[in-house]
Amino acid sequence: MIQFSHVTVNYGYVPGALKDINLQLRDGDFTLILGPTGSGKSTLLRLIYMDILPSSGIVTVGKWTSYRITPRQINLLRRNIGVVFQDFKLIDNLSVFDNVALPLIIEGYRRKYIRRLVHTLLDEVSLLQSSEQRASTLSLGEKQRVAIARAMSKDPFIVIADEPTGNLDREASKNVLSLLERIHKNGTSVLMATHDYELIKDTPYKRIYMENGQLLPPDRTINIGKQKIRLLTQEE
Amino acid sequence: MKLLFVLRQTFNNLWRERTPVTATILTIFIALSILIALFEVSWILYNQLHDLKKNMVVEIYLKTSISESGTARVRSMLEDQNTFDRIRYISKDAAADIFQEEFGEDINEILDENPLPPSFEIRLKPEFNHPDYMSILKKQLEEMPEVEEVHYRHSLIDKLENITEAVVVTGIFVLIILVFAMNLLIRNTIKLSVYARKRQIMVMKILGSGSLLIRMPFILEGAVEGLIGGILSASGLIIAHRFIASTFTMVNFPPRIYQILWINTISLGIVLGLLASAYSAGRFINKIHSKK
Repeated sequence: MIQFSHVTVNYGYVPGALKDINLQLRDGDFTLILGPTGSGKSTLLRLIYMDILPSSGIVTVGKWTSYRITPRQINLLRRNIGVVFQDFKLIDNLSVFDNVALPLIIEGYRRKYIRRLVHTLLDEVSLLQSSEQRASTLSLGEKQRVAIARAMSKDPFIVIADEPTGNLDREASKNVLSLLERIHKNGTSVLMATHDYELIKDTPYKRIYMENGQLLPPDRTINIGKQKIRLLTQEE
Repeated sequence: MKLLFVLRQTFNNLWRERTPVTATILTIFIALSILIALFEVSWILYNQLHDLKKNMVVEIYLKTSISESGTARVRSMLEDQNTFDRIRYISKDAAADIFQEEFGEDINEILDENPLPPSFEIRLKPEFNHPDYMSILKKQLEEMPEVEEVHYRHSLIDKLENITEAVVVTGIFVLIILVFAMNLLIRNTIKLSVYARKRQIMVMKILGSGSLLIRMPFILEGAVEGLIGGILSASGLIIAHRFIASTFTMVNFPPRIYQILWINTISLGIVLGLLASAYSAGRFINKIHSKK
């Protein structure tokens, strides 16, 4: 379970990147965070993998709590979370195989185990044929699929996806969403931030709306990009 | 797999940054060669000085007309000093025997008499083997009416001491500059490598990597630079030793000098490379984290 209690984040002299957030995310849920650019979605996600710590309030992720976490524990926490980024964060000069294997190398697994698992994961994202290719040579859609395979290699309890379709065309975006849905069906929690309302409008998942660093109550209309959106209740 | 990953990263870095890496290796090579050569010269000079001091003899020539009681007075004065390892009396006859041994001629036959004065030959205890004490002793002895002259090779010792001191001082000065230059170049190479792999470092952190795994390729990079610089330096020094040994036959290097040079130069190169890169890697990687 992930819990935010009265969480506020200030970036340097810019106050209120997040303002008094109270939120609870249950294990096994697929949750969507919606909101325009700059609304605080990425900040909220960065708090979960403790890339930043709250200025005030407490973030609890499983057994880890933000106010008494050590750098070593942050590393352990991150090894249990899969993160997918808009810009993929792949290492361009490494092969597809090495990019997916990296979390397993960090954990110190044996070569044989890594080879078997990485091949299985690449097969699942339909990129087994490209395993020896350099990451830099892939298309954007393929890069994101590699990033998802890398996130899954750690068998995480949650996958956090920060605008995973932000750089992709419609077809590639649908592929990425369907991959995340498959991950969710296998029992892993998924938390996806997006402002692509068109992509997720027919999905049945729990939604959280953000604007100006705050969670919005449902039953009102907001602007996301060029679209006017009526907010749905969380369970709608 | 971790080790393989670290080694691959290390050699990728070395290849990618080959120009600054080559400059660093050359600096290490030059710095180590000068460093070891200076150390060796200082060591040889110090040993020469030590041997000279250890074997240095002070000769106290007495008046030729000295009586037995006068000789006894000088001996008792010397014994009272308690600063000598050995006191040896050389009578006029003994001096003539030494002359004959050294020059193959009997002085009594050449000059019809023995003009050689009786003397004392003394060897100072090591702790008193100092030019200042020597000159005090010389003055004190020459004030005695029984003493004609006091001899010791102070000018050679003074000269050798001055040279040794100059070499050591220059050596320390050069050492500081070279270590500083070497450190600066290694730091620069590591800095370039770290910034070239900024993205990878950030990704590895997000994936939960410990800092040792991130730093290790950079630390090894410094060690490899030190190792190659050390090998080049040891090879250069060995060639120089062989040349000196074959050209100047009076120069004798200690036994096993090549093994000593090989082991010491390479170890020193690796240690210096490791220290400089470990310090730089930590510093620059931390900077990248805080800029995230």
